[in-house]
Amino acid sequence: MSRVVVCTWGTSGGAEELLTLGRGVAAGLGAPFGWVVLGPAPHDLIEIANRQDVPVVDRIEDPKLQSFGGDVAVAALAAYAREHTFTLLLVPQTFDARVLAPRLAARIDAGVVMNGLGLAVEGGEIAVTASAYGGDTRVVYALGGGGPFVVGVNASALDVEAAEKPATAVLRHVAVDLGGVDERVLVVNRSETTGPRIEEADIIVAGGRGLGEKDNYRLIHELAAALGGMAAASRPIVDEGWAEPARQVGLTGRITRPSLYIAAGISGASQHMVGCAAAKTLVAINRDPDAAIFRYARFGIVGNCLEILPELVRAVKG
Amino acid sequence: MALRIVVCAKEVLDPDAVNNYALEGKLVIGEDGKSLTQASIPRLMNAYDEQAIEAALRIREAGTACTITVVSVGAGTEILKHAASLGIDEPVAIQADTAALDHLGMAKLLAAFVQSRGGADLVLCGRQASDDDQGVVPAILGEYLGLPVVTIARAVDVTATGEGFAVRVVRVTPDGDETVAVAAPTVVTISNELGQARYPTMAGRMAARKKKITSVTATELGVAAETLVPRVRLVKQFVPTVKGACEVIEGASPAEAAANLIARLRSEGVLR
Ligand SMILES: Cc1cc2nc3c(=O)[nH]c(=O)nc-3n(C[C@H](O)[C@H](O)[C@H](O)COP(=O)(O)OP(=O)(O)OC[C@H]3O[C@@H](n4cnc5c(N)ncnc54)[C@H](O)[C@@H]3O)c2cc1C
Ligand SMILES: Nc1ncnc2c1ncn2[C@@H]1O[C@H](COP(=O)(O)O)[C@@H](O)[C@H]1O
Repeated sequence: MSRVVVCTWGTSGGAEELLTLGRGVAAGLGAPFGWVVLGPAPHDLIEIANRQDVPVVDRIEDPKLQSFGGDVAVAALAAYAREHTFTLLLVPQTFDARVLAPRLAARIDAGVVMNGLGLAVEGGEIAVTASAYGGDTRVVYALGGGGPFVVGVNASALDVEAAEKPATAVLRHVAVDLGGVDERVLVVNRSETTGPRIEEADIIVAGGRGLGEKDNYRLIHELAAALGGMAAASRPIVDEGWAEPARQVGLTGRITRPSLYIAAGISGASQHMVGCAAAKTLVAINRDPDAAIFRYARFGIVGNCLEILPELVRAVKG
Repeated sequence: MALRIVVCAKEVLDPDAVNNYALEGKLVIGEDGKSLTQASIPRLMNAYDEQAIEAALRIREAGTACTITVVSVGAGTEILKHAASLGIDEPVAIQADTAALDHLGMAKLLAAFVQSRGGADLVLCGRQASDDDQGVVPAILGEYLGLPVVTIARAVDVTATGEGFAVRVVRVTPDGDETVAVAAPTVVTISNELGQARYPTMAGRMAARKKKITSVTATELGVAAETLVPRVRLVKQFVPTVKGACEVIEGASPAEAAANLIARLRSEGVLR
């Protein structure tokens, strides 16, 4: 059976975005649509499934399932794939999924594509548009010669849309035998970052090399605090030690999705924009009127961010 | 018993040069509609792979005797000579038409090479290639070799145990650093947090000139052409257009511009 299946782990974000996308692809292929949830599930699992017109939801639970990226998760999904075949498995591209998807693909002999931004069906063949060169270009991959395929999709690029007519989803508990499988990689120590994360922030103020020196990063903190938001940074100033690694936005940093993103002294390189282009409103402050960041921005101020940032703090407070 | 390290290295277009063209709006796609053909863009070793070589050299310097082999599918002589100049033992070129391979095929060739050498204790890769950004070859390679896969490392330490080698890796995760332990053989991918890769010394460059690059073909590795038929094909590449609807907020002074911006954000309902 040539199913299209969305695969998610626990309550990690992106499930509903992927279900909206997957539903469209399934319709385009004329294929049945499904959802498989590994490990813990969101509390409103069935409501989401109904809203997204998913007829069948499969749950795989096992005390051995500790993470989405490990040996057990790969074995569980490979076992699932043998019993419940599919043409296309879509996973939201989380940190763990970046390992899980290619490992699973190799194990079940499936083609694999990551960094997906969208899928289209043309003449019965699936085409995936993905980002390349850190966002400088887009590539289109054709998935040919029969499945299965595993595709990782950047959910922050997608929208959620409810189905026209909701379904009454059926929940199946799928048992997989994980008897002989144990994690070969053991976590010895984990430094828990405490406090809020920029991925979840609603307002972000980000600084870049245009701040000139380390001490000026304080201006970013001050505006972030005044707005009740979080401070973030471009990679060069994280490399320089002006800001902590957890604040780095972009391809090799965090993917954020705030309602407001203020970028000060940031040029707008694709590798940075990958991490903030999904912001609802982007504001750029740059002294170069031709800076690429203005192409992405909704509002911009051309000027010296060292002068403008303190004035913004005053304007917010005043 | 020496630790057998294999580093997988890919040749890519200089991402900074690509970036500069993109920022100036001058990035051009070739006539085939899918490749970047600007001749002025230099070809380099993927930076993360350079850092994977660095990780291997650091393991050697920390006191573990190793053999370090650098293998590439499709890289030119320049790239492999560069690897040789860093003090690795053997540069290997796997001859293949990379444009006709997908990532499964790439990993199949790399796996066949490792097996042809009787295996490896530590396979080091970059976290992703800076051209396609896929980051899938190491994981697929791990599966083909039946090895665990540890991704996004900032540090790799190896200690000899009675029977083999114990590997400790510090990973960079969204929740902070994570230290993991795994027994060799294993695959590890290296991230930029490892730090600056070294430059070749003059003596290294001289030695590299004499070093022979081993060359092998898919057939010699026992990989049949029909197992390399790609399932995923790159059919098109384009430069995304950005909408560009920026409203420039003016003001006679920084204070006025700032006040105007905040007022505008409030009137739009972005700020309360
Ligand atoms: C493989 C790879 C991965 C990468 N990953 C990331 C990533 O995850 N995140 C990331 O951010 N980058 C990443 N980069 C780097 C990226 O390509 C850019 O180099 C980087 O984003 C530029 O940072 P920036 O904008 O702070 O600095 P610059 O590009 O130097 O820009 C500084 C800007 O500040 C402006 N400016 C200067 N002074 C002032 C002033 N007083 N007031 C106002 N404006 C001023 C300048 O006009 C300029 O536009 C990556 C690169 C590669 C190759
Ligand atoms: N053609 C290749 N030759 C050797 N190693 C490669 C090749 N392609 C990918 N790799 C390795 O796999 C990593 C990830 O590549 P990718 O999956 O293409 O993003 C790279 O950093 C290399 O270490």
